[in-house]
Amino acid sequence: MRYRQMFASIAAAAVVAAVAACGPGPADKANGEVKLQMVESLTNPTRTALLKKLIADFEAKNSGIKVQLISPPTNQADQKIQQMLQSGKGVDVLEVRDTTVGPFSTNKWIYDMAPELKGWDGLSALTENALKVTQQGGKSYMVPYGFYGLSLFYRKDLVQQAGFSGPPKSWAELVEQAKKINDPAKNRYGYSFRGGLGAGGNAVAIISGYVIDELNHDNAFKLTDGKTIFSSPKAVDALNLYLDLFKNASPKSSVSWGYPEMVQGFTSGTTGFLLQDPEVIATVKESKTIKEDQWGTAPLPVGPTGKAAQPLANAGWGVAQGSEHKAEAVKLVKFLTSGDAAMTFSKENSLVPILKSAADDPYFKDGPWASYVAMNSSPDTYIVVTQPRGVPWSTEWGNKSDADVQKLITGKAQPAEILKGWDDYWTQKWAGK
Amino acid sequence: MAVLQTERPVRRPPARTSHRRQFTGRTALVLLAFMLPAIVFVALFTYYPLLNGIQMAFRNYNLNDLSDTSWVGLKNFRTLLHDDMFRGTVKNSVVWVVGSLVPQFLIGFAMALWLRRKFRFRGTYQALVFFPWAVSGFLIGILFRWMFNGEFGVVNDLLMKAHLIDTPVPWLADAKYAMVAVIVANVWYGVTFFAIMILAALQSVPDELYEAAAIDGAGKVRTLFGITIPSIRTTLALTVLLRVIWIFNSPELIFGMTGGGPANATHTVTSYMIQVTQEGDYGRASAMGVMVVFVLILFAIFYLLAIRPRTPRTTARKVAG
Repeated sequence: MRYRQMFASIAAAAVVAAVAACGPGPADKANGEVKLQMVESLTNPTRTALLKKLIADFEAKNSGIKVQLISPPTNQADQKIQQMLQSGKGVDVLEVRDTTVGPFSTNKWIYDMAPELKGWDGLSALTENALKVTQQGGKSYMVPYGFYGLSLFYRKDLVQQAGFSGPPKSWAELVEQAKKINDPAKNRYGYSFRGGLGAGGNAVAIISGYVIDELNHDNAFKLTDGKTIFSSPKAVDALNLYLDLFKNASPKSSVSWGYPEMVQGFTSGTTGFLLQDPEVIATVKESKTIKEDQWGTAPLPVGPTGKAAQPLANAGWGVAQGSEHKAEAVKLVKFLTSGDAAMTFSKENSLVPILKSAADDPYFKDGPWASYVAMNSSPDTYIVVTQPRGVPWSTEWGNKSDADVQKLITGKAQPAEILKGWDDYWTQKWAGK
Repeated sequence: MAVLQTERPVRRPPARTSHRRQFTGRTALVLLAFMLPAIVFVALFTYYPLLNGIQMAFRNYNLNDLSDTSWVGLKNFRTLLHDDMFRGTVKNSVVWVVGSLVPQFLIGFAMALWLRRKFRFRGTYQALVFFPWAVSGFLIGILFRWMFNGEFGVVNDLLMKAHLIDTPVPWLADAKYAMVAVIVANVWYGVTFFAIMILAALQSVPDELYEAAAIDGAGKVRTLFGITIPSIRTTLALTVLLRVIWIFNSPELIFGMTGGGPANATHTVTSYMIQVTQEGDYGRASAMGVMVVFVLILFAIFYLLAIRPRTPRTTARKVAG
């Protein structure tokens, strides 16, 4: 009998320990206090500190709600979030990106906030683009906190020395100027080429600029005739020019350059041009090699018809379907995407803002931000388009297109060959094969 | 009534009975109770994920769309066998394992022989030599990525200053060099494991054997092949086996350095498996995992059969012979 009791108690202890090891549950109520678990995706130390500051403000204004921020490393974050959502535990508020909103909503992991957002005065404060993202297809799975839009960072001094009066306006001018600046003997190159992680996105940027007149604005991988943008002969011209830019104006090693290397290439003074998001403004400002008067930003280069497609990548906050405290979670989402919190997050994170009021803010009118203002004020030249970033095969496409761009620039495949592969890929995916 | 101590019957030790008779059901229950926590934890954290992974390999399990997770039999395996990229990663895996293992073994052995001798600050040297083993593979990958960077990397800088190259080598941008670069990083990372294991084994070889060999007039090479290697044969064999499995299964360094590029030139089976997992296709990734486990088990069986001792020979006789 004694042995049985001992056996039972040890077994019980083992089970309890095992269950306890499975981690905390979702939001729980302790002492009448609601505890929300919030998880971010595009983690970096500065941003995490900023989020904690904003959360502290929220907690001060909402006594009875405590928020615990989880910050997984960026490269594993989306996978961690997926696993949390799949288990239905451990997350109330989460970062939702344009690349993850599709799979997350397909699997019914995230909550449609549309009923709660109805009548919210924060909606009327959002820009047209932000509102569009918030109300996609009549559902509100996320409220964006900002946009990532490409613009051209350039070295004013090098452009002048090369004999040009100003930065390039078109892709053809960019290649011309970059070639002039390129001088490998001095370890100076024209362009910070993105050949590594994210290479596909930049290749699509130049293709979009070339097919802009036939582009479907709501699905920027399609032409108005329903075919993919990769099926157009103009796409071949675009990739040929892009290949020229790599071969004759970029460092050889940029085949493997991802975000950190291409930014480092520019901030270290090695390259003359860089195509990047506004978040790089802060990084370039910190550069000890290039001074403030040596660089500037210009709008995204246009295609042969003088227009560019501006696919505003976005990310925001959403609520998990498994959350037991949806009302409090939505409250936090509203707080982070309105008023001072939203403006602070845009400024300190260098994002294209979501609030209309930012247009009157001097911060977004001056210096490096001027090019973004210029693009926003010329919607017929810099056409905002929506890329199919939320499709379930988004990550697969990213990996495939990155590897294919590397094949192109290492001479393992020709532009037409790559484009045929991309055209087949998207045609089959859309056909559900 | 109290009994005098002297009148107490002397307790004899119980007669020796067989172990089986002593092992009653009650004892078994006690043993099981003590083992239960470990059994529960191992079952929960090792066997459950393992079995779950195996069953996923036979299902249409894609995290991006969980509306249909039905059984698909061997479809995931067939997809892999027709996947050119997967076949390329198998070839890369062989180059990666052999290219990393041979230099790791030779350099590790040499380091162990060197560290075995007594010299000043030997402890400090040992600590410095073994340091890389304590660093995360992913972090080492990122460090080497910057070191091998064509424009800002220290590797090109040193080679140019030494006049070994005239122009910078695009180490991670050229398929020819990229595999060399990741193997160099892996050799640096893994050499210490061989050094640690071989050094530990060397310290257990009796000095008398070396003295006897010296008296018999055996030279350094003869002593190495006649005494040192036979004495630590088992450790060498097991260390090689472990390293083969670990190198094959370690994608983090490749991920940190090249992400499998350029143009998939450095993707191994396991780094490709992680990429497919990130894409959400758990079914196909699990199929790869099952294949990897199967191949490694087969390798381990054949390897252990191949290296088992056939005729027991004493090292002394070998040296004397």
